[in-house]
Amino acid sequence: MIEILAQVFSAGTFTQMLRSATPVALAAMGGSMTEHAGIMNIGMDGMILMGALIGVLGSYMFGSAAAGVMAAVLFGILVGLFFALFVVKLRSDEFIIGCALNVFANGFTAYVSRSVFGFSGTSGYEIDYMQPIDIPVIGDIPFIGEILSGNTALVYITWILVLVMWAFVYRTPRGFYIRAAGEKPETLRTAGISPERMKWLASILCGMLCGLSGAYLSLGYLNGTFVEGMSASRGFIAFACVIFAAANPAKAYLAALMFGFFDAIGLRLQNYISSDLTSAIPYAITIIMMVYVVVSKERRRRSGRAAAKTSAAPPAEGAGT
Amino acid sequence: MRVKINYRYIASLAASLAVALLIGAVILMVSGFNPVEAYSALLSGAFSNARHIGDVLEYAMVLCLCGVACNIGSRVGIFNVGGEGQLLLGAIVSAQIGVVLNGLTPWVVIPVAALGAALTGGLYALLPGWLKVKHNVNEVITTIMLNNIAEFVCEFLAKGPWKNPDNNIVAGTGNLPTEYWFTRLATGSNLTTVFFVATIMTVLTWYIMQKTATGYEMRLTGDNPRFARFAGIKTDKLVIIGMLVSGMLCGLAGMFRVYGAEHIYKASISNDYYFEALTVAMIAKYQIPATAVISVIFAVLKIGAQGMETAAGVPNQIYLIIQTVVIFCMAAESGIFDGLKRRAEDKAAKAAARLREKEGAAHD
Repeated sequence: MIEILAQVFSAGTFTQMLRSATPVALAAMGGSMTEHAGIMNIGMDGMILMGALIGVLGSYMFGSAAAGVMAAVLFGILVGLFFALFVVKLRSDEFIIGCALNVFANGFTAYVSRSVFGFSGTSGYEIDYMQPIDIPVIGDIPFIGEILSGNTALVYITWILVLVMWAFVYRTPRGFYIRAAGEKPETLRTAGISPERMKWLASILCGMLCGLSGAYLSLGYLNGTFVEGMSASRGFIAFACVIFAAANPAKAYLAALMFGFFDAIGLRLQNYISSDLTSAIPYAITIIMMVYVVVSKERRRRSGRAAAKTSAAPPAEGAGT
Repeated sequence: MRVKINYRYIASLAASLAVALLIGAVILMVSGFNPVEAYSALLSGAFSNARHIGDVLEYAMVLCLCGVACNIGSRVGIFNVGGEGQLLLGAIVSAQIGVVLNGLTPWVVIPVAALGAALTGGLYALLPGWLKVKHNVNEVITTIMLNNIAEFVCEFLAKGPWKNPDNNIVAGTGNLPTEYWFTRLATGSNLTTVFFVATIMTVLTWYIMQKTATGYEMRLTGDNPRFARFAGIKTDKLVIIGMLVSGMLCGLAGMFRVYGAEHIYKASISNDYYFEALTVAMIAKYQIPATAVISVIFAVLKIGAQGMETAAGVPNQIYLIIQTVVIFCMAAESGIFDGLKRRAEDKAAKAAARLREKEGAAHD
């Protein structure tokens, strides 16, 4: 038992946690943008999947992982524009468009990957992928160094992006407008700013971040391979993180870390339990997380109401005497 | 509310299909295939013989059943995205019932298996339904997560406790004894007598939703829950029942796949079929007759695409692309129509203004 615990809480688990959390965190930050802008975006899974394919394709064509990441981000902009065209401009049901985007991504990625790489996928091809980066001084610290150092560049970029996105949403006028576009669009319009334009901006940002997430998945997480359906519902987990974090990018990153932690534990436990059961853990945790958020919100509201009642009661008594 | 399907709907569906096939042709050309050849291979892949037509009808049956399941949920205002998991669990449970009860007469085994599949699917759908009603937890996320969990649990069962004794099959339950198979309608095809059962179920659901008081209450609950509650309808109960029935239909669809087509549980029982059915239901605007018709259209595309893959070497996923373009077009339909209408109105208003100006000038 102690042996198992030692293995579960080793540095390797926490490295794995970072690796698993990064794609979810990137997508969740993108989802925070659309969520703030008042769009329920369930198409993130498809966006990630397309980013993953385009990342591999770009890396294969230009011979460099960085070019692959760039290609995925640029394609992400296109996907974001496409999403906004339907949701904002043509005012279609965002739920239908999200669902359709996921199915489309399934078909599109499988079709393109089979046309380019053949029916057995990318396995026989040499594709440049992201190399781990060792940080000189921090890398020498025993336990923490092992975790913090030796990750791929996108893991570190994600940390920077968390700060940037947080500052963007809560400390810049643009971020304020995006939030207003979701909460009080008419007020924003009265102030002379088009909420539609902010929704376009949020969709594009979401597309970019999901493209980045996909590129990390294929070029960083899986060392330059594309597998059909490889997003494996991460877009939906990211959506759960968005709701869990009330669309705050920093909190969304923490939620993603939690997902990554359970994913890593699941991978560790594979030596003891069937891998099929351990793979189900993160999804179960996501459900529990969702229920916890909603129930705790409910309880807070109820206790708030109770507190309001008790604080209102004494003066009434005082008035009586 | 009479049937919503009208001429404008049929026209937009036809136009969307045409646009989708056109875009598909462009994609085929870009990737180096001859679109005319590919599409004729698609048609012959779907219609060339009784076996293919049977496969088309079988797939349409699965799509339609799942689509109807989705319709029931959305009718009461809850979106069941978890049909895939309910289908898989229904399939594996019914398959295992067939294996365990081997030796009993089909008159006992098949009803028990159907009951088992329906109960499993229904109970699996009950959890997200209950969470939605009780705590207002977003059902889309819970059902999708439950899909993944079901997939892994089925994989575990098929590899572990319920594994096929034959070692060549890595993940699958035992083979279903032949006396429990549904009778085939066309040699070599997956179409079996269960097609008629599915048809009856679809018509019955349509009748209940469209013609009975319960159906009316369900519709009211979905359209305007507050009003429904004030009118004395037990909306919570209806939502839960809707979810239960939706899950039961999905579970049964899984059983039909096992007892009709595959005769064993393995992962190929369903390849995200429910998600396709979801899009079918969406395009059909949650109307059951339209769901049935569009199921057939999409089944032709899918089975035809498989024929196209063997005949012309085109990856069959092209059908998913064509299908989703249809969805995008249909979803944008009202936006495009409104835009055109607004533009026409603008033009008319401008013309009227110009006319008034002219008249004003004439008066001067």
